[in-house]
Amino acid sequence: MQKNYFLAKLSGLLILSTILVLLGTLLGSTGANWNALGPDQTILFDIRLPRSLGAYLAGALLGLAGGIAQSLFRNPLADPYLLGSASGALLGVGSILCFAYLGNSWLEIIGLNGGAFLGALIGVLASLLLAGGYRSSLRLLLSGVVISVILGAANSLFTFIRPDLFQSIQSFMLGNTTLMNWSGVAIMAIALFLCLAITSIISPVLDALSLGENTARTLGLPLDQLRLVFIGILALATGCAVAQTGLVAFVGLAAPHLVRKLSGGRQRVQLIFSCLGGGILLLGSDLIARTLFAPLEIPVGIVTAVLGGLYLLVLLKRTSFGGRS
Amino acid sequence: MKEFKDMHSSIRSRYLAIGVALFFLGFSVAVFAAPFSVVDDQGVVVVFDKPPQRVVSLLPSLTESVCALGKCDALVGIDRFSNWPKSIQNLPKLGGVGDVNIERIVQLKPDVVLLEKASPVIARLNSLGIQTFALDIKSMGDEDRALQKLDLVLGTTESARVWNQIQKEIMRANKQLSLQGKNIRVYFEINPAPYAAGGSSFIGEILSQLNLINIIPKSLGPFPKINPEFVVQAKPDVILLTESTTTDIQKRPGWNTIPAVSNNRICVFTSEQNDVLVRPGPRMGEAALIISQCIQEKMSSPR
Amino acid sequence: MKTHQLSIYRGPCAILTDLNLNIPQGQWTSIIGPNGAGKSSLLQAMAGLLRHTGSLSLEGVELSTMTRKALAKKMAWLDQQGASSPEEFGDSLSVYDTVMLGRLPYQGWLHLPSEADHISVEKVLQQTDAWHLRYRPLQQLSGGERQRVLLARLLAVDSDILLMDEPLANLDPPHQADFLKWQGNLLAQGKTLVTVLHEIHFALRADHLIMLNKGRLHFQGSSQDPRTHQALIELFDGRIRLEKLGNDWVAIPS
Repeated sequence: MQKNYFLAKLSGLLILSTILVLLGTLLGSTGANWNALGPDQTILFDIRLPRSLGAYLAGALLGLAGGIAQSLFRNPLADPYLLGSASGALLGVGSILCFAYLGNSWLEIIGLNGGAFLGALIGVLASLLLAGGYRSSLRLLLSGVVISVILGAANSLFTFIRPDLFQSIQSFMLGNTTLMNWSGVAIMAIALFLCLAITSIISPVLDALSLGENTARTLGLPLDQLRLVFIGILALATGCAVAQTGLVAFVGLAAPHLVRKLSGGRQRVQLIFSCLGGGILLLGSDLIARTLFAPLEIPVGIVTAVLGGLYLLVLLKRTSFGGRS
Repeated sequence: MKEFKDMHSSIRSRYLAIGVALFFLGFSVAVFAAPFSVVDDQGVVVVFDKPPQRVVSLLPSLTESVCALGKCDALVGIDRFSNWPKSIQNLPKLGGVGDVNIERIVQLKPDVVLLEKASPVIARLNSLGIQTFALDIKSMGDEDRALQKLDLVLGTTESARVWNQIQKEIMRANKQLSLQGKNIRVYFEINPAPYAAGGSSFIGEILSQLNLINIIPKSLGPFPKINPEFVVQAKPDVILLTESTTTDIQKRPGWNTIPAVSNNRICVFTSEQNDVLVRPGPRMGEAALIISQCIQEKMSSPR
Repeated sequence: MKTHQLSIYRGPCAILTDLNLNIPQGQWTSIIGPNGAGKSSLLQAMAGLLRHTGSLSLEGVELSTMTRKALAKKMAWLDQQGASSPEEFGDSLSVYDTVMLGRLPYQGWLHLPSEADHISVEKVLQQTDAWHLRYRPLQQLSGGERQRVLLARLLAVDSDILLMDEPLANLDPPHQADFLKWQGNLLAQGKTLVTVLHEIHFALRADHLIMLNKGRLHFQGSSQDPRTHQALIELFDGRIRLEKLGNDWVAIPS
């Protein structure tokens, strides 16, 4: 009985995603342009299609990471940036920009995207080291906060010393989908496939966690190893997304909440839907960001915050007036 | 009896002469010692007893303007970002925008502090008894007005000469470009987000003074965050960037179809050149020349 | 279950030392003692949750040699329930899915429920009279209904040994009566029960008592044995006395 609903909901989300991607090829710097393909449009497929797909994939990665974070730490305020990945990525970008003048060939290969990815991974690693392992969720959470604060202060110091780089770093902080290309899309697609596949297989452990850690262990699950795998997926997904689009706010936090009503409590379903929901949220925001004041662009992070925040407000109001049914 | 009358009239005229001379002397002294007032860009009437001898400048374009008017030696303190001319580089640095060192300013006992109209420290300095003179410097017209007001404040008469010099340099830059023909379309990027320089910004003004067509219309504001698709569709002939923002502009998706990119007509400015380009100061003629020099080079080279 | 010179560690500290215990099969053993004696730790060690030195064996097989899954099929664990946590984040799992979690030890890598799993879940839900609740989310249940569902989850593991940590705390007397009735049914089926209780009158209903004090074994024996009663009074420094009330023994402060 419940399985049918799952397939219907899944198809619904996938159809919505496809519609948005198609819209993405029509909307651009000329506003809502409903014309059919012209001679110039072939170039725009080189720009608009990778940008739309890239925004969707980045949102999907962030949505998945956010869903994992909230389920793993059993905290509705968790988001993919909480283990120091955001501040780490920012520091990585800043370092690459700062040392760019050295012209080192390594730096050229890594580039800004690589710097963000490595920085995110280093941030999570630092949190793991500070917490002394992955055994205690609470310790991990706290050390993640500490690392975020420390690295954030390092970033502030950085922009103080090199104010000329501040604007470049700021555009990274607000999230940027404008320069997505096909290689970025390919990287994110591979990462998403990997993360989603592994998550789908091991997600029942998160269901078991809802009964308590002790109970989950006695049900024969290698809880600590699986927790480490989840943290690894979190770091990988966040790192890949952040490397391509910068620190888009709110997608990782809002997407799991937006789909919670649909998922009926099962973690496997919840995480897959968070993934799709995140993609829809970010792509939708990107479409609005580039169409509203074309050819001006609103930073996409602002639109995600407004959209996600508004919908959450609506959800909150509904539950507080409806009461517990 | 007659001699007595004659003697009286000669003494009287002598006294008259001395009196008139004394009167004129006193008057002229009074004129030289009179306080004068100048209205700054906030509308505040600033009264000076005499031209200030100790000047602090908290904006690079104001620093450069003061030196252009010949009063470099009156400067006792500058902000962190002022770096031209070389003679001022050893002056005490008093911070940037958010972190002005108020204590140090007070210690220097300046007669006037030149700063931006929107500076947050004006009220604080005034309450400490420091005279401030606020100027709004965002466009060419602003600098023209600022030079004239600074002339009044500093007691110089150089503003007209400086402005003429600027105009001459702009004309020279125009001549350089006139050989390349009209209607050169340009795109000036200030930040890789990408943020562009629009028509109403200072850089945009320079570009229009050189009769270059800025693909970013004035209606979008001074520094709009632009959709890179727009640049691809607008197909500029030359792209202008600063060093710190060049991150493989050729690799951007779809940009290889832009004539500027495919013909490698990309002007990259060093950070020193960038300082000249973004400051609406007395070096704006030089800014025009920097731009025209690069464009002329790129347009005349075969590939 | 037998232990020999068992010491239990939480981190680097030894919580319990030198325990020699004998837990009989098919009977109800209760672990009691003052606060901080290490009751929960002993139970957790039996479930394989804490590090131990010495021998802890199950039907002759050392616990430390068993695989995780094998141990999970042999023993089912019921955790202490908090006072009231209806708003717990993430409790929107349905009753059916919650009980299905008990079948995890029997499922393969992908953890997809098999036909046998579905049959088992239905059976235990009928047994605990919770079948009509099966599609409701856990957070919407009352305290008593929730306890029944968690018991069903426990039974779904289909293990011979059931370990329960304070199962009667936070239940009102009618629900406690229900729980004890189900416990009786389980014992009649031949299951072995080991519970940690701090209510002495409930503990005295068990077949077998293990008394812990300050990390050591104070006494173990049958609950009908007068020596056990004597040891119990000693355990609490003579501050209680035992009275027979009908069929039950009750502990009253003296």
